[in-house]
Amino acid sequence: MGLARYVVLRVVWAAVVSLVIVTATFVLMAAAPNPAIQEAATQAALEGGDPQQAVERERELRGLDEPLHVRYLDFLTSIYTLEWGWSDHRSQPVTEALVEGLYYTAQYSIPWTVLTVLIGPLVGVYSAANMYSWRDHAATAFAFFGYAIPNFFFGIVLLLLFGVWLDWIPVVYRTDVAVFSLENARQLALPVFVLVTGSIGAVMRVSRNESAEFRDATFMKTAKAKGVSPFRAYAYHVMRPTLVPLSTTLVSQLLAIFLGSSLLVEVVFGIPGLGRLTFEALVAQDTNLVLGATFVFTFVAVIGNLLEDIAFSVLDPRISYDDR
Amino acid sequence: MTDEPLLRVEDLTTTFETDAGRLVAVDGIDFSVEAGETVCLVGESGSGKTVATESITRLIKEPPGHIEGTVRFEGRDLADCAEPELREIRGADVAHVFQNPQDALNHCYTVGWQIAEAIRIHEDVGRSEARARAIELLGRVGIATPGARIDDYPHQFSGGEKQRVMIAMALSTNPDLLVADEPTTALDVTVQAQILRLLDELKTEYGMGVLFITHDLGVVSEIADRIVVLYAGKVMERGSAADVFERPSHPYTRQLLGCLPGIGPPSAGGIPGTLPDPTDPPEGCRFAPRCEHAVEACFEGGQPEAVERSPGHRVSCIHYHDGYDESVLGEPPTRLGLADPKAEEDTRTGGDADDG
Amino acid sequence: MPPERFDRIDWEEHAGSSGFSASINTVAFVLTALSVLALAGYDRLFAAERETVFGALARDVGVGPRFESLGIGADPGALEYLFVITLLLFVWYLLAPLYQNPRMTRYYWDRFTRNRPAVVSLGWLFVVFAGGLLGPLLLSAPQQDVLAGHQPPVYLSIDASNVARCLGETVGGRCHGTWRYPLGTTQAGEGVFRNVVYGMTISMQIAFITTTIVAAIGITFGTVSAYAGGWVDEALMRFVDIVLSFPTLLFFLLILYIYGAGLGMFILVFSLFAWGGTARYVRSKALSIAEEEYVDAARISGASTYRVVRRHVVPNTASSIITQLTLLVPGFLLAEAQLAFLGLGDSGINSWGQLISAGRSDLAFAPWIVLAPGIVLFLTILAFNFLGDALLDALNPKTEAERGR
Repeated sequence: MGLARYVVLRVVWAAVVSLVIVTATFVLMAAAPNPAIQEAATQAALEGGDPQQAVERERELRGLDEPLHVRYLDFLTSIYTLEWGWSDHRSQPVTEALVEGLYYTAQYSIPWTVLTVLIGPLVGVYSAANMYSWRDHAATAFAFFGYAIPNFFFGIVLLLLFGVWLDWIPVVYRTDVAVFSLENARQLALPVFVLVTGSIGAVMRVSRNESAEFRDATFMKTAKAKGVSPFRAYAYHVMRPTLVPLSTTLVSQLLAIFLGSSLLVEVVFGIPGLGRLTFEALVAQDTNLVLGATFVFTFVAVIGNLLEDIAFSVLDPRISYDDR
Repeated sequence: MTDEPLLRVEDLTTTFETDAGRLVAVDGIDFSVEAGETVCLVGESGSGKTVATESITRLIKEPPGHIEGTVRFEGRDLADCAEPELREIRGADVAHVFQNPQDALNHCYTVGWQIAEAIRIHEDVGRSEARARAIELLGRVGIATPGARIDDYPHQFSGGEKQRVMIAMALSTNPDLLVADEPTTALDVTVQAQILRLLDELKTEYGMGVLFITHDLGVVSEIADRIVVLYAGKVMERGSAADVFERPSHPYTRQLLGCLPGIGPPSAGGIPGTLPDPTDPPEGCRFAPRCEHAVEACFEGGQPEAVERSPGHRVSCIHYHDGYDESVLGEPPTRLGLADPKAEEDTRTGGDADDG
Repeated sequence: MPPERFDRIDWEEHAGSSGFSASINTVAFVLTALSVLALAGYDRLFAAERETVFGALARDVGVGPRFESLGIGADPGALEYLFVITLLLFVWYLLAPLYQNPRMTRYYWDRFTRNRPAVVSLGWLFVVFAGGLLGPLLLSAPQQDVLAGHQPPVYLSIDASNVARCLGETVGGRCHGTWRYPLGTTQAGEGVFRNVVYGMTISMQIAFITTTIVAAIGITFGTVSAYAGGWVDEALMRFVDIVLSFPTLLFFLLILYIYGAGLGMFILVFSLFAWGGTARYVRSKALSIAEEEYVDAARISGASTYRVVRRHVVPNTASSIITQLTLLVPGFLLAEAQLAFLGLGDSGINSWGQLISAGRSDLAFAPWIVLAPGIVLFLTILAFNFLGDALLDALNPKTEAERGR
């Protein structure tokens, strides 16, 4: 009961946050001169027309002559009904372009997320169980390396090494290969590796340090006194409480990498996904597409934060839902 | 069956490697527990009681810990047992109840899960049967409406209830020996009495031997059949409860008893001094630096040979050796203040409703 | 005797030393910061458009070109003035107290030096710091020289056909590097080494200014929230939630897209979205410190809330805040490099990201242009992480036993 109410509250809150971000975007847009109008004026002046008239026409065309609150409501309506307009640069509806981008983004995002979620906590708990052994030190070194090396730089170096010098993997990303094919696996191996390296470090560190605390807890002694094997003790009694603080790190780390680095990695590896789409829209001054991509990433962030909160409270039985 | 006791510990020494050097927590101690009796290990904090009991089934982490000596349990020497064999014994034959039920239960699992885990590790029973047994056990240890509370998490229980859950978990596999490490120290006084009585009942019901650790002589006087007094990893005195309480012999025991309100002189304010550094124990008797009756010989050699004052009552003090005069120790403190446990029983209130 | 710790010390007790000297530090900070502000104001009001501020100053004061002969020829902008002020904060509120409390400093230093990677990291960060501070004074800015493009670093060589004019020796058709350009040159013939050094300045500016803004906003929000309580607390913490939910990089891209943005805007936007964690931390710490007895004692003896915050909450949270800030810096450096790499950064600055971006097209035959700044960036981020981790350990009493091997 308490949980259901809590989840509903969090969902409502997530909706509020998304509204605030969308509003902030609207304010930014409304306060700035629209490049399209400028362009229309320039165009008119170049063609010998009246720039003032062209501006009026363009404003009317884009609905900018309406009062601010009407424009705001229109803006909100179109955002939440997914009427995101036409992408001039791609010559297709924005939503369609985004779905196409998502198709390629998902192909490498799902593997690296799954790998991080699976490997990170396991290695971390293993490190804690064998603290200060050479394996722990190796894992720590790897964690720091992955955490510190800029993903795009790592990608460039790996591409140079394996693509250009060793010629093991294709340098140019091909969209004409099947999703589940060896070729696709080969061309996605490096981006997935780069992103896993980037995201797994923090996950490993947090799970190592948190489980180190539970490793020495009295309940581990209870478990041992019950006759629980060390493997089972780690798999259940350490792993489970570690997941509580880890869930926060895990989600925020995945989000940070997804929002911050996937764009770069797509540009480096030439993957025509969401990140590359955003980048090209920025360069091509395609306002609708820029906005659309921003909203996709924003919604991913909001939903990620929501999941993080819910996961945390579901995982920790001690959280009382009435307090919030 | 032989006349061998349930548990016989001989020359048990447990050491730890630390930065400051080798720490001797338990130094060659002997004790035994018969089936159906309660043996109390008594001593100050840091005297090695917990380490001694956790060395029995090797709960001590090795390394840094290192355990030597003989631990005979039901005819087997646990010191020779490999880890998988020990795992069979832990929980199934020797069960533990720890001091702080707050930390001893995993906060992420329901109490039912944790009790069932203990059962299913040792017995080939199904999920539902283990659950049914867990409910039954919760009821037995005095949790009201056990069927409704089995799926609760530890934080939903009060301190006393949690300790009951711990006891239920310990009993889940009908152990022969129950090691209770200060099980009541973290609890309120009223709850303490209830838990003690529960343990006493269960001991008779299950026919277990109970090894009970405490620093609280009041508790000892209520439950002990036999007493082992530990100081700085060495046994100072041992004997039946009557022996130790009626004729406390070692100066340390006497001073411990003297600390009880109503026994020693009203001015007694604890024992002066602190425990010796376990990485560098003193020569001679461990207690000598704090003993008001120490003579030069007390600071030489090892711990004095134990002297048998009466059958089963042994004391490790030089003043009972030939050539020394035990009268220098003076009269032992009398137990005038200690209430007769039997008399106290009647004044206690029954029922567990106000447990938390 | 248990050693003293930040967490345990009631700093009020040390009023004899730090209570008095703190005010000296404040006076010193205000005086030095005012002189910097005066210089900035003078720069804005009196120095001519194309004149450097020191040149103008020398003219007005009548000392001739003496400043320039000392090497002080730089023409600072608003960002540089801000940077100097944050440096002053750093000196008067971090270094000076450490110097004034030698016993405590030694205790922490001893704990800190047990962690060898952290000491190396501190050394590296000192190099970057010193390079960023002194480099522009000692080295002139990298100059374009198209004829000197693609020179290899010293001890390395490159196929002579890739170089317009080899400045070093050409042996067997391979052009070798010279000490004139220790790390080689870019396509445009700019020295990579100089570029890297100038990048240090940018990185240090980002590090110092962002952390100052984050600390200022975070501490203010955290303490106000903790002490106001009630609906103010609730509203502020909800606001923090929102701030933390913003996808900063994308939002910055949007601002960049609509308005265009330089390094100043970058620093502003990223620090305005990064203080949420600090605020949350300060709030929870302030709430728990408010429960401490010495705070009660201070309050009973008539200390105002401001005084309690200033004298108890801030000093007691300082160590953790510094740790948090240390761990925030790598994110800012990375973001700057990423934007620069995408060609969306401030093209008017010599940052490491700009250099990586510039070298990308020549990666196959002139990898040093990318590798040199990339490795320096990697090492700097690594050093900040190691340092933050070590500070966490050094300041956390709990880990002492664990690490005591």
